[in-house]
Amino acid sequence: MQLQLVSRSISKQSGQKSAWRISVRRIAPYLGIALILIVWQAVVWMKVYPEFIIPSPLSVAERFVEVVQDGRLWMHTRTTLSQMLVGFGIGTVSGVVVGYCIAKSRFLEDVLSPLLVAMQSTPIVAYAPLLVIWFGSGPTSKIITSALIVFFPLLLNTAVGIRAVPAAQRELLESMSASRWQFFYLLEIPTALPVILGGLKVSATLAVIGAVVGEFISADSGLGYLVNRARYDYDTPLVMVAIVSLAVIARLMYGSIAFLEHRMLYWRTYADQ
Amino acid sequence: MLRRSFARFLPVLLTLAMLTGAALRAQDAPRSITFFLTFIPNIQFSPVYVAIEKGYFAEAGLDITLEHGDEPDGVNLIAAGERLFGMISGEQVITARANSRPVRFVYEWFQAYPVGVVVSGDGTIKSAADLRGHKIGIPGPFGASYSGLIALLTANGLTEQDIQLESIGFNAPQVFCAGAVEASVIYVNNEPIQIGNLAARGECGDVHGVSVLNVADFADMVSNGIITNEDTIASEPELVAQVVEAFHRGLSDVIANPAEAYLLSLGYVESLPRSEALIDALESAAAAQSGALEGGTAEENAAARGALLTDLRTRFDAADLLQLEILSSSIDLWEAPRLGYSDPESWQVTQDTLIQMGVIDVPIDLSAAYTNDFVPGEAESSS
Repeated sequence: MQLQLVSRSISKQSGQKSAWRISVRRIAPYLGIALILIVWQAVVWMKVYPEFIIPSPLSVAERFVEVVQDGRLWMHTRTTLSQMLVGFGIGTVSGVVVGYCIAKSRFLEDVLSPLLVAMQSTPIVAYAPLLVIWFGSGPTSKIITSALIVFFPLLLNTAVGIRAVPAAQRELLESMSASRWQFFYLLEIPTALPVILGGLKVSATLAVIGAVVGEFISADSGLGYLVNRARYDYDTPLVMVAIVSLAVIARLMYGSIAFLEHRMLYWRTYADQ
Repeated sequence: MLRRSFARFLPVLLTLAMLTGAALRAQDAPRSITFFLTFIPNIQFSPVYVAIEKGYFAEAGLDITLEHGDEPDGVNLIAAGERLFGMISGEQVITARANSRPVRFVYEWFQAYPVGVVVSGDGTIKSAADLRGHKIGIPGPFGASYSGLIALLTANGLTEQDIQLESIGFNAPQVFCAGAVEASVIYVNNEPIQIGNLAARGECGDVHGVSVLNVADFADMVSNGIITNEDTIASEPELVAQVVEAFHRGLSDVIANPAEAYLLSLGYVESLPRSEALIDALESAAAAQSGALEGGTAEENAAARGALLTDLRTRFDAADLLQLEILSSSIDLWEAPRLGYSDPESWQVTQDTLIQMGVIDVPIDLSAAYTNDFVPGEAESSS
């Protein structure tokens, strides 16, 4: 009886601790943001740099409200978002397809890997100006920049994921005379999906970088252009508004893929429990 | 007794001697100054290279380190006191001052605004008014290129809405020759020569020659010059005068002897052609020009440059001479009866253009944006 009471008490305490931990984890990101704002404001108060170098959070917030109200922020955000999403889509599809083919063909891997490694190891800013010359200064060059930066992580993760299919499971399906299609959707996709989605999360944030790099080289709209324009207008608060907007887009992209991962890999959540 | 006392004080004396020596050495050590330049190392910065190589900065006790970057970064660093001097365009100074940056223009290097619009020599665009309805490339709708274009359009009764403006980055030769734009905003001392060379080689599509619509022919705007911050002017005016004087001497030498300037720039600009034959030819030309043109008139200097290029063109191909041609075209933009002098009228025109573009909302006090007090030979006349 006493043992049961002690056990219940321990269980209650551990439940409270667990609830506390969950609450803390939920508010942790906001604590991080609050901490950054406090440090930022402290740097402004201490006058480490003049305010035209580091403007106060309040002046950035005021500028944010202004450009939201006059519609400029949405106009530039829409440009960046559209280019980024199209690039992300093209990069994802082509990365997965080529990654799957490479996983299936060692010969193809031998042929493509030097080119792919060379492309991946070269910073995108180095060849982005060439893309502008080849594909023009319109949205195409930004979409391609975005697609290229997304392509490689997806390709790599897809190839790794498909090759990670356990031999025993493959043999099991073979013994059941499964068709190619059944191999694909019953075994390869479910096995590779966690790795592919991991690559997708990385790529989602990279897609933002790709679009903005293109806009930095040559553009007349988009958040990358807005940063450049604000720099030449000596409008540091607007530079920071554009940067924060880019960070929010990248976070939303990451969050969307994480949500997708949570929904698609529900079986993994149950397994963890 | 005396010997013992001396022995006792010997370490103290030695220490004092060492400290005095170190202090004297520190006093003699040149002062390190980082000089901010835009773009990348380029023959157009040869006045700075010449001033360094000929020891003009060192004579003033200055050890110069060069730093390249984008104009707004340079302005912000100088305004914040992180750098003391830089080469920045006049319209950036007005924009920066309108946004609380305490920077001031102290020496006007480019006497003619270097921006223009390049068009095909045998195309339909013959004048600025003909730009209406055409697709025009520009690095981006900001900075000196944009200001220059707006001034050019305004002077010819056009607005930005009358043309199709396309941002092409700093890729004018490639984009123009690919036919993606019909005209392009460029620096008149650089890209037209590159495009002309491509056209001469048949590598510029249908373009067989180029012509340039110079902004300077329509609007006298302030271009690049030396800037510093107000604190430095107030607390170290002699330093400002020394830096300006050293640059002024370098600029004068480049104008008088471009062959020598090219040779002295070789250590700074790795893309400069440097075949043995070219260097030999330039060394001979530099020796011949040395001293001959000091104090020469603009016409004499231009004639000497023309003769030098005419002679070299018979012996070297266009690619070998491209950078020297760029230097020669740049000198055309630098030369003036009063080197370094800022004309108040040109500041007013620049400010009016910026207001019209919406870059600044209200006029600033232009007298605080620049001074001619440090320009050699101008201080007495302005005071």
